[in-house]
Amino acid sequence: MNPTPAPRPYPESGRAIPEGRETALAGGGAGAEDVALVRAMADGDERALGALYDRWNAVVHGVVARVLRGPDDVEEVVEETFWQAWRQASRFDPARGAVQTWLLTIARSRALDRVRALRRRRETPLEGDDGEVVVQQIAPGDPGVDAESSERGRIVAAALAELPAEQREALELGYYGGLSQSEIAERTGQPLGTVKTRMRLAMQKLRSRLQVLRSEGGGAP
Amino acid sequence: MSDGMTHEAASEALEALALDALDASEREGVMAHVAGCAECQRELAALESVASEIALAAPPLPMAPAQRDRIKARLVARAAADRADAEQAFADVRAKASPDVTPLRTSRRGMGAANWMAMAAGLVAIMGVGGYMRASREQTALRTSLQEAQAERGAGLAAMDSLRTTLEDRDRMIANLTGAQVAVMTLASPSPTPSTGRMFWDQAHDAWTLVAHRVPMPKSGRTYQLWLMTPTAKINAGTFMPKPNGEVMMRATMAMPTDSLAAVAVTEEPMGGSPQPTTAPMMVARL
Repeated sequence: MNPTPAPRPYPESGRAIPEGRETALAGGGAGAEDVALVRAMADGDERALGALYDRWNAVVHGVVARVLRGPDDVEEVVEETFWQAWRQASRFDPARGAVQTWLLTIARSRALDRVRALRRRRETPLEGDDGEVVVQQIAPGDPGVDAESSERGRIVAAALAELPAEQREALELGYYGGLSQSEIAERTGQPLGTVKTRMRLAMQKLRSRLQVLRSEGGGAP
Repeated sequence: MSDGMTHEAASEALEALALDALDASEREGVMAHVAGCAECQRELAALESVASEIALAAPPLPMAPAQRDRIKARLVARAAADRADAEQAFADVRAKASPDVTPLRTSRRGMGAANWMAMAAGLVAIMGVGGYMRASREQTALRTSLQEAQAERGAGLAAMDSLRTTLEDRDRMIANLTGAQVAVMTLASPSPTPSTGRMFWDQAHDAWTLVAHRVPMPKSGRTYQLWLMTPTAKINAGTFMPKPNGEVMMRATMAMPTDSLAAVAVTEEPMGGSPQPTTAPMMVARL
């Protein structure tokens, strides 16, 4: 966890980060900077959008590419993610989670919209997708990603890695593949009841492991 | 609870709902249950929080510099245009309601349209462009939320209809009890039964609401029957059973000329009721 820095201007704008806006969920230092950027976006400062993009474009791109599984539409979806963040900046509530989580939720949602629209057009399930699920670790020292968010990513990746493979598969086919439980059952050849149980267990274990890992590692609350 | 799905079945589907992986058919039922279940709402919020963190594990993927810069340039340009639109709208509102065109005056009859405009201009000036933009954004966001809510039709509408029906029913009941044309009669019971009750007659809506307390359960195979008595007839207004705690809330709809009611009575009758009273009243109000 980074120590909370003194108020400082964000890149290109010269605007000071408001004091006293840190929250536990925003995670202090880097989180407070993100929150200040989103507040400035809500006030109509496009430079804040540019600064937020500089900080998070690689992370957003990572999630979008993971969901889309190919280069098509990636650029549009990344842009739409940040555009939605701009338009909805006034709705962001730091008490409900970090800016990073909010951005990634938008990114996943927009990417899944695209995947589902494509699937409906093709009327075939996930063309060219073999359903393989690989849990990847966050690469150390990625540019633009601060130590705190890397730590949070590491904790979640570790918790996912501890899940039995079949449970992780059910969870990730739903989460990244945008598949319903019936579609996952069809894809994996497993009975629907089995898929439901696996998904449920996966979420329960993930929830519990995240709590344990955070208390051990002192990650974000 | 407004649906056929049990709490247990719904709670077992919350993990999949948080992942947005429920089949559409099941989703409606679960959402309808969640809408009326505080426990499931709390659990769903916690699970959605877990789900929202899964993406944190996806490794960052730097874009090619040209692509990265292209997207940024487009975003910043779009945002600047958006801000300029807001500033123009802000200027328009101020210009339309300029105080030197529409001087602020007070009137005994209230503020005229011009004064409202001047007041709006004052508010806009206080808010500034940023505040105006945020307010207009919030309005847009609310509109988006509304559209999202409308998109959740099935479950949401079912739950809303159920709540609306309950609310309307309660509103109607309150109106039937407190309206301007509601006559209230107190029912007394000949000893030794300790029952007490009141009849609220909403003459504007021909609605009758009987509220009674400490009403003992009738004998096996028997029920209570409510009678509206005129000088010439005993009109059957329906049968009812008290709750185990002796409370009664019974409603009936029946038109009756205001001056023709002579008494209200409750008798114990065979199950299904009788065409005419067959026992002495256990509660009665005479006018």
